[in-house]
Amino acid sequence: MKETLLKTEKLCKSFSNGGTMQHVLRNIDLELYKGDFTIIMGASGAGKSTLLYALSGMDMPSVGAITFGGQAISGLCSDELAVFRRRHCGFVFQQICLIDTMSVMDNVLAAGLLVSQDKKALAGRARELFTAVGLPEESWRKFASQLSGGEAQRVGIVRALINSPEILFADEPTGALNSRTGLDVLDTLTRFNEQGQSVVMVTHDMRSARRGNRILYLKDGVILGECDLGRYVHGDMERHEKLSAFLTEMGW
Amino acid sequence: MKKSILLTKSNLQGARGQTAAVVALIFLGAMMLNLWLMLSMDYKQNFRRCHERLNGEHVSLAVDGDQEQMREFLSGILEEDERVEEFSLEPAMQMVGLFDYNGGEVNTNFVIMEKESALGRPIGRAELIPQEKTACSGGREDESTQEDGQSSGEGPRKAQSGVYLPMLYQSDEIAVGKTITITIGGNPVAYPICGFFNSPMMGSHNCMLCALLLTRDRYEELEKLGYAPGATLCGVRLKDAAQSEQFATELKNAVSASFPQAYATGNSYALVSQSRFISQMICSGVMSAMAFLILLIALVVIVSNIFHYIQENMKNLGALKALGYTGRQLSGSLLVQFSILSLGASLAGISVSYLLFPLVNEMMISQTGIPYRVHFLPLPALLTLAAPALTVALAVWISTGRIRRIEPVTALRQGMMTHSFKRNHIPLENTSLPLQSALALKTTLSGIKHNLTVCITMLALSLVVVFSGLMTENMIVDMEPFFNLIVGEVADSCINVGTDIEKDFLREMNGDKRVEKIYPYSSLAVSHVGGLELVTTICDDFSRVNNQDVVFQGRFPRYDNEIAIAAKYAGEKDLAIGDEVVLTAEGEERAYLITGFTQVSNNLGKDALMTREGYERLGKLWNVSYYLNLSEGTDVDAFNREAKERWGGGIYAAINVKATVEAGSSVYVSLMRAIVFAILALGLLVVVFVLFLLVRTMLGSKKRDYGIMKALGFTTAELIWQTAVSLMPAVILSAAAGLTISALIINPLTAVFLRGIGIVKCTFRIPVGFILAGGLGLCVFTFGAACLLSLRVKRITPRAMLAGE
Repeated sequence: MKETLLKTEKLCKSFSNGGTMQHVLRNIDLELYKGDFTIIMGASGAGKSTLLYALSGMDMPSVGAITFGGQAISGLCSDELAVFRRRHCGFVFQQICLIDTMSVMDNVLAAGLLVSQDKKALAGRARELFTAVGLPEESWRKFASQLSGGEAQRVGIVRALINSPEILFADEPTGALNSRTGLDVLDTLTRFNEQGQSVVMVTHDMRSARRGNRILYLKDGVILGECDLGRYVHGDMERHEKLSAFLTEMGW
Repeated sequence: MKKSILLTKSNLQGARGQTAAVVALIFLGAMMLNLWLMLSMDYKQNFRRCHERLNGEHVSLAVDGDQEQMREFLSGILEEDERVEEFSLEPAMQMVGLFDYNGGEVNTNFVIMEKESALGRPIGRAELIPQEKTACSGGREDESTQEDGQSSGEGPRKAQSGVYLPMLYQSDEIAVGKTITITIGGNPVAYPICGFFNSPMMGSHNCMLCALLLTRDRYEELEKLGYAPGATLCGVRLKDAAQSEQFATELKNAVSASFPQAYATGNSYALVSQSRFISQMICSGVMSAMAFLILLIALVVIVSNIFHYIQENMKNLGALKALGYTGRQLSGSLLVQFSILSLGASLAGISVSYLLFPLVNEMMISQTGIPYRVHFLPLPALLTLAAPALTVALAVWISTGRIRRIEPVTALRQGMMTHSFKRNHIPLENTSLPLQSALALKTTLSGIKHNLTVCITMLALSLVVVFSGLMTENMIVDMEPFFNLIVGEVADSCINVGTDIEKDFLREMNGDKRVEKIYPYSSLAVSHVGGLELVTTICDDFSRVNNQDVVFQGRFPRYDNEIAIAAKYAGEKDLAIGDEVVLTAEGEERAYLITGFTQVSNNLGKDALMTREGYERLGKLWNVSYYLNLSEGTDVDAFNREAKERWGGGIYAAINVKATVEAGSSVYVSLMRAIVFAILALGLLVVVFVLFLLVRTMLGSKKRDYGIMKALGFTTAELIWQTAVSLMPAVILSAAAGLTISALIINPLTAVFLRGIGIVKCTFRIPVGFILAGGLGLCVFTFGAACLLSLRVKRITPRAMLAGE
């Protein structure tokens, strides 16, 4: 029996667009489980990112409830949501979003020090994570804008993991990277998931989606279907075919 | 040009808030600038116009004694002197007198004239002031309204018989229909107040001669009472007004040489035109300083904005250059933008200054006692338009040099970095600071231009705080330092006694337990041969006077051949300590050695000190003024009354010195209160404007960073704290430096403003407590304002950042 980490009930999100309401998410009931690598897929405009932002407390739902570990987060104010995010969530963005005026180490510690005051321990963990993602030591003191895209995204992953979040949200983390570095980033995320890290990733790339064990397909703001792929195994063709069949069924 | 205008339009639309703040700063600066220019350029002209319209005298002299003989003597001299254009000789009465004013006393030499004859004087005629207006609108009309004895407009009912006072003294207590008691030669006389008049040369106690106009019946009554001796009032118009001071000295010397016992008091155009505008001078000095400070801050803000604009828009600028726009066109668009803003804001500032001017004018009229009609002044308006526009244009052109120099390709590559990569300020791993403070400090250290703007603003405001503290401490809370500097010597009582009773008077006073200290301190006019008349104060032992700071360089005179002389006068005549000056009085000439320099503003820097023996080498003293320090709790007025009753005619005057000085100074105190309040309010307003611009710019440039931080879990309150705290190092350091420097330079700086009235070295007390509290208040206020202005952080959301909004 899987442990539920995050749950939504009748989750809706609407935006006003030129006087007309645009319903991006409609009555989504969803449970995310601990240790899963959940993939949210769908065509452009399906509401993938909006769902991710709502799940992660980055945005407030218009209607509906979200509970995280039994605590309702949908009624929290923006500052309470910020505290929730810092304690429980990690984020990896498509645009990477490092702070250019800070060094690599400072980018990571700025997030870490929000939760823990133990600088020594944090710096130690940052070094471990840097090593784990394969970032060479000479890069740690560089400024973010001096890094290549792949290096920067690895720093993004370290920053997301520095507080050992219960759930890691990734919004198309390979979207801005070339094929090789994209693969490295996926390998890194897969490795951390294998170590028990819960991951929720939005992607429209089948190669990335293959890394997840649970695929949710979103269309017009509703979850059209879901597919259980099981744990990722490198070069498992059967898994790949299952995913292809699911996506074809969903109209991908 | 068309392209530049299009770009300008686009720039303005993209930065409405910054535009508004820059406009507000230039608007405030232009408003102050125009007010200052109007005050400094037209008020003295107004004095000249009033003086000309009333055919004012350049030299006035009131001499007691045989009127027929004196008229003949003066006519003889004046007719022969080629410098004289015309002169008039009229009968009057002259006597020292006093009346209650502004909670104190006006104590001066009154020239009492019959009203009709004063209004009809061929030279230096007085004009009556209509009660419903103080504007100087043409004299004759005013006279006709008043001369028939009817009440004007809806004003209070006017008495048919009584006194007309200089308009300077018009107040709630001294008003038409009320009764005033004037003590003339020690005798109180009550007069109904019929009205007020304007007399440029005799309309204030600062003129040495202060006119009082009595209706015919009251004048004849006073003549019969004999409280004031008859005198000849001589008014002289010179061909060249610049010679007035010299001529006045020579005329008085001639009179005292021929009539040694005749009491003569006079003034000159040069003296009066300065002394009646001390308040206006102080006010316009402060306004000019504020105007320049605000415009300087506006320039710094504009330059800072332009640098920020270039950094933020480097890519766009590169694209525009690549499309074919020249650097000059791009710079030109900013030049047009800021020139339009500057001209528009200056125009608005000028307009509002005209709305405020009636209020300022009312205040100035109550200080100068010269009516002034507010009217449009083209030259100040033109200068106010031109000065900010030109300086802004120059600043914009210089600061946009980077746009002209950069190549399109470099710009497209974001050619200029927004920060230095050379050093990672405050590495989080090593710092012991809390996270939020460390991040705030990082922002501080990466924003040198912001810090510069903050520093310049804070330095300017520190000066404002120190100046306000100085004025509050020395003019509002405790006036003694102000009195010491401006008045010279202050005691509780001053009793002028005839030398025939001097010994008995002294013996009794020394035996009176209420008298703590008594010393002679008499002022007499002595002329410097080859120079001007000096108001010379004599004392037998200057070590006993209360104010030992009067001589600020060298020492007091000790021997009969020594003199201490006003520093301002010494400077004008190129005299140094150790030089010898020849003085004359009562037909005698003697040489004196200069032992020190004095500074008192009483006679606008034409003063001297000498020992009693020193004066007696020139002439005989007929009466002596004694200054008395009385024990605490003694009723000074009662003491003076008692002395008068005891000594009768032997005492010519008994003055409550502090009350007199306080009354005379009340105009300055009220002016200074208004100035302190206005500059503090304006200063705080400027801080808010500058902070608004800085915070807005900061939030603009950190929008992405703050969006990321919010996504990571930073709260709005933490980011507000970071923003406000990032400004504080520059605020605290520059406020500390500014307050220290200002405290060190404020006295010399104030002396520069007061140089015109004879003050060379200011010795005002520096209010350390006030300055510390002011500095702390400034920092707290800045922090609070920065926090409030940073509330815009609320609008930054991680969702919006990720969506690229």
